[in-house]
Amino acid sequence: MRDLSRTFGYRLILDRLNFRVDRGAVLAVMGPNGAGKTTLLRVLSGVLKPTSGSVERSQRIGMVGHHSMLYDALTAAENLAFYCRLFGITDRNRVQEVLDLMGLSRWQHQRVGTFSRGMTQRLAVARALLAEPDLLLLDEPLSSLDEYGVDAVLQLLMRLRDEGTSMVLVGHEVSSVTQLATSIGFLVGGHMDVIEELGGRDGREIAERYREVVRG
Amino acid sequence: MNPRQNAVRLNLKGQLITWVALLGLAGVYVRALAFTPIERTQGPAQKIFYLHAPAAMTALMAFALTGVVSIFYLWLKDRKLDLFAASSAEVGVAFSVVMLTTGPIWGKPIWGTWWSWDARLTSTLFIFLLFVGYLVMRGALEDPRVRAQYSSVIGIMGLLLVPFIHISVYLFRTLHPTPIIAKPSAPSLPQEMLVTLLISALVFLLFYVGFVTQRYSLGLLRELKHEEAARGIS
Amino acid sequence: MAEVLTAALAIAAKDISIELRTKTAFMSALVFAILVLAILFFARDPTAVAAIDVAPGALWVTFTFAAMVGLNRSFLLERENRALEGILLSPIPRSSIFLGKLIGNLAFVFTIELISLPIFMLFYDVAIWSGLPRLLIVMVMTSVAFVSVGTLLSSMVVRTRFAELMLPLLLLPFLVPPVVGAVQVTARIMAERPLNEVAGWLKLLAAFDIVFFILSLMLFEATLEE
Repeated sequence: MRDLSRTFGYRLILDRLNFRVDRGAVLAVMGPNGAGKTTLLRVLSGVLKPTSGSVERSQRIGMVGHHSMLYDALTAAENLAFYCRLFGITDRNRVQEVLDLMGLSRWQHQRVGTFSRGMTQRLAVARALLAEPDLLLLDEPLSSLDEYGVDAVLQLLMRLRDEGTSMVLVGHEVSSVTQLATSIGFLVGGHMDVIEELGGRDGREIAERYREVVRG
Repeated sequence: MNPRQNAVRLNLKGQLITWVALLGLAGVYVRALAFTPIERTQGPAQKIFYLHAPAAMTALMAFALTGVVSIFYLWLKDRKLDLFAASSAEVGVAFSVVMLTTGPIWGKPIWGTWWSWDARLTSTLFIFLLFVGYLVMRGALEDPRVRAQYSSVIGIMGLLLVPFIHISVYLFRTLHPTPIIAKPSAPSLPQEMLVTLLISALVFLLFYVGFVTQRYSLGLLRELKHEEAARGIS
Repeated sequence: MAEVLTAALAIAAKDISIELRTKTAFMSALVFAILVLAILFFARDPTAVAAIDVAPGALWVTFTFAAMVGLNRSFLLERENRALEGILLSPIPRSSIFLGKLIGNLAFVFTIELISLPIFMLFYDVAIWSGLPRLLIVMVMTSVAFVSVGTLLSSMVVRTRFAELMLPLLLLPFLVPPVVGAVQVTARIMAERPLNEVAGWLKLLAAFDIVFFILSLMLFEATLEE
């Protein structure tokens, strides 16, 4: 991504950002509310186009956003089957695989409109994983999940990361972020500072830095 | 010079042109009433034609320009193009109102009815309504980028609708011919009337330029104000 | 070419399944159609105006207004939960989205028309058996005309606050050429007059279909960008 800028209405939300995310790398984007983290993800996904600058991305992208992008009137299985058709996935078992992976098989024939927020969130993750993406864009993927769900999804994401999937993650919980991320970017006032190689640092340092930035 | 000053200067130029046009209009009135012969079959009422026809021509031109400039906007994405298209549409709507009111005023003494489904009046009515819709939609959209995109789409669709509406009205009327004296807007006008008409057309053109310039420059100033306000927040 | 169609059909199929499940828009449109047919029948002096004189106009006013009831629901569906973004993330060509929505809308509108037609014949006492194939062709041509434009317009109008109001406002000028033509041709069919009298209208209808289908398809992408 080079020199990326994006305006919203008349405001400059992202100001000439430059960064890259490699295979198996997980970039966590943190910052105060309204900083433009969601906008950044939407530009990365291709739904929004940058006002200036360019984004180079792979073709296979999965995204979990603030909204589920699912149809309430259809069942979980039907929703996933629809997305399979859009992505050209002919393997009939894929839907079942993904449902099992997210622990939703029991409810697959229930309409999404009846799901709890946590279940919808899990289904949204399932949808993102359908096409086996190289790049996952996750906007607070753990927010509505119960403890068990958080654990399960986190384990899943870590496994995917180790298998080579790149991710850009927006999150507020420092503990889960530090487990998963390989680098952290602080997005404030349209600019982003990236800290590479989290290896040695511990959660507390990051939390401190985060608090600074938010107060900032 | 900064953009704000440029816009203000442009606005002043627009106002100047409009004043000149107003003088021109006074001149047209004088010429039409005192120096142009009275039409034989229609009498003095025909003189409103010198306002009606140029208003119609300018309105149509304004809408056509909106459509064409919309195509350029979708290609070049320069918001100034959208601003021009919208200004042209507004002026077109205003001139359409002139045309649609002078039409009946002209028609009543001659045909006996206020409104006749005359081909040109009808076509103009529908195009006018479409561009009123265009302006209403613009009012309902706040994001300038989305507003410009959507306006361009309507502008282009409107541009292509015009010939279809004309043909529809023509077909309708040939099926239902009405025993009404045709308007003498064919070029078989005596010299003096033609000259008055041409002068009036030029005056209306000047009005168009003056109004659009003012509207456009005001639009520029408003954009600048929004940008400054936004920069103040972030 | 084939992928465009398969993706479009997937979207249309999804829309149709959802509509079949909830049926709200469909039932509203149908009831609306029957009401309009009935009201227009009574909105005249029966001693001065024969039912058959107002019939063609009544039929087409009914069809178009009932269709407008259903056109907005197609894109409103995509706005809840931002489902449209999910579709945009997939590799399908953007034109498939338009085609899919168009096919879904056409299925909706045709169904309403086919159900309203016998009711119309009943109310207005018009038996159009011999002219039925020709009437059906006119129905198809006209419906394609206003549903193409309507689909494009509804994709824009759903973002505004007054979508229900804005769609008719913007769509009505575009209805003039096809619907006026449809009424003229329908009147000839009902009177069992030869259609070469209205050849001009038929050509206009066909030209309108082609021009505005292609135009709507091309301009659709512009309505997706933000």
